[in-house]
Amino acid sequence: MAAIGLLAKEAADRELLGLMLGELGHRAEGAGRLEEALEFARERRTKAFLLVDGGGADAESLTRELIRAFPLMPVVVALKVRDASRAVALMRVGAAEVVAPPWTPEDLKASVSKGLRFQGTALSVASSAPLSRSPIWYALAVGLFLAAGLGVASLKRAEANRAAAAARVDRWELPVRHPAGLAFDGKSLWLVEWFTQSFYALSPDDTAVRIVRHLTAETPVAAAFTAEAMWTVSADGTVIRRMRDDKMTPLARYAKAAPNCAGLAFDGLYLWTLDARAKVLRKHLVDRELSVLATYRWRGSKPAGLVFDGRSLWTLDAADRRLARYALDRPEEPVDGIPLPEYAEGDYIPTGVSWDGARFWTVGEAKDGRSPARLVRHKEEAR
Amino acid sequence: MTRAPYLVPALLRFPGSSARQDSWGRLLKITAGGAELSTAARLAKGEVLLAQFELGGERLLMRARVHHAGDDDDGQRLAELVWVDMVERRRLARALLEVLAKS
Repeated sequence: MAAIGLLAKEAADRELLGLMLGELGHRAEGAGRLEEALEFARERRTKAFLLVDGGGADAESLTRELIRAFPLMPVVVALKVRDASRAVALMRVGAAEVVAPPWTPEDLKASVSKGLRFQGTALSVASSAPLSRSPIWYALAVGLFLAAGLGVASLKRAEANRAAAAARVDRWELPVRHPAGLAFDGKSLWLVEWFTQSFYALSPDDTAVRIVRHLTAETPVAAAFTAEAMWTVSADGTVIRRMRDDKMTPLARYAKAAPNCAGLAFDGLYLWTLDARAKVLRKHLVDRELSVLATYRWRGSKPAGLVFDGRSLWTLDAADRRLARYALDRPEEPVDGIPLPEYAEGDYIPTGVSWDGARFWTVGEAKDGRSPARLVRHKEEAR
Repeated sequence: MTRAPYLVPALLRFPGSSARQDSWGRLLKITAGGAELSTAARLAKGEVLLAQFELGGERLLMRARVHHAGDDDDGQRLAELVWVDMVERRRLARALLEVLAKS
């Protein structure tokens, strides 16, 4: 409970405001004149003053006098007549609060309460964040922040992916010059090199050479893998079924089963060979003779490779620099094809093709015959 | 943030279309972008008003929009104002700089 000095010329105003202050829990010390009010303030240590403006009293001059005597004491003025300009003028001379008529306990309570907690205005040139916000505003702000963060992260990731794609190497120079074919065993790319009569197992990640196998008695031109065996074709057309061991141990030989072989593929049931000279596709039954079940005319310019991607046969045309797709049930006509722009410059001639389960790989021989062979990993969307 | 030794009183005027009486309040905070106002007037969000006050001896008449309004602990209105007139904002910024430089 605070002692509040009450200065009002009219007794009725003093009585009314005194009752209200009493209801609010304050002890009102009523006075009709300034001298009385100053005396009360000195004797009873009032915490604040409540003045009435009007009814013969000029609260502006009274406020000045009170503040002069008690500079730190808040003065609240109650207007008998509502006048905003007058209220501002009173505040300018020092009134902490001004109460508009009709006076109510609520208004009086708020004004006295604020007067007792008198503080100065905070000043700053820079705008600051607002203090009062609804929960929805904060929720939206947090949501917006998270969305913005997610957007920035997505953009950064997309940019990183673009940069990685741009930096990704999709062609490599190989330590050989005369590649003849390419095959994939599920882990490595097997490069067939006729000049050195060798097979090179290359890592599909960085094309590092993992294994080298030299064949002393044969000149390999094509290869393909099944789950149990490795199939190779020699320059004389002999097809050899080998174990998938370190020595590539031969299991069976099929003499002249695939003459002029440009490519070899296994579709899970039949073995397919591509004859470069006759320009035919042959379908072989895997029996003791590797019997030819059917022969299909190949409609291309220069056959260079053959591969099965799990659904279709694909042939590599070195002259047209494109891959042609053939359905297994109708291999007479190509279903469609994809160009190989990587060979558009003409300084490399594709000589082998393979499929790693996601993308095509081709190997090319330099046209001048002296430069290193080139391995190309084609785009995923190429298929 | 610098605090003045007094609360800056402001006269609040409203557009004729709103049919409201002039009112008054105290500016609890003043920046070049807006202000916080304590007043008995029942301000509503989005409302436009003219705040007239003095700062550093300069009389300012700032057109403002109520960005947020709510009741404080005493039951009075605590409103966040945003100054909408760029010319007056620059004048206010200069006045603030002068006051702050002297403080």
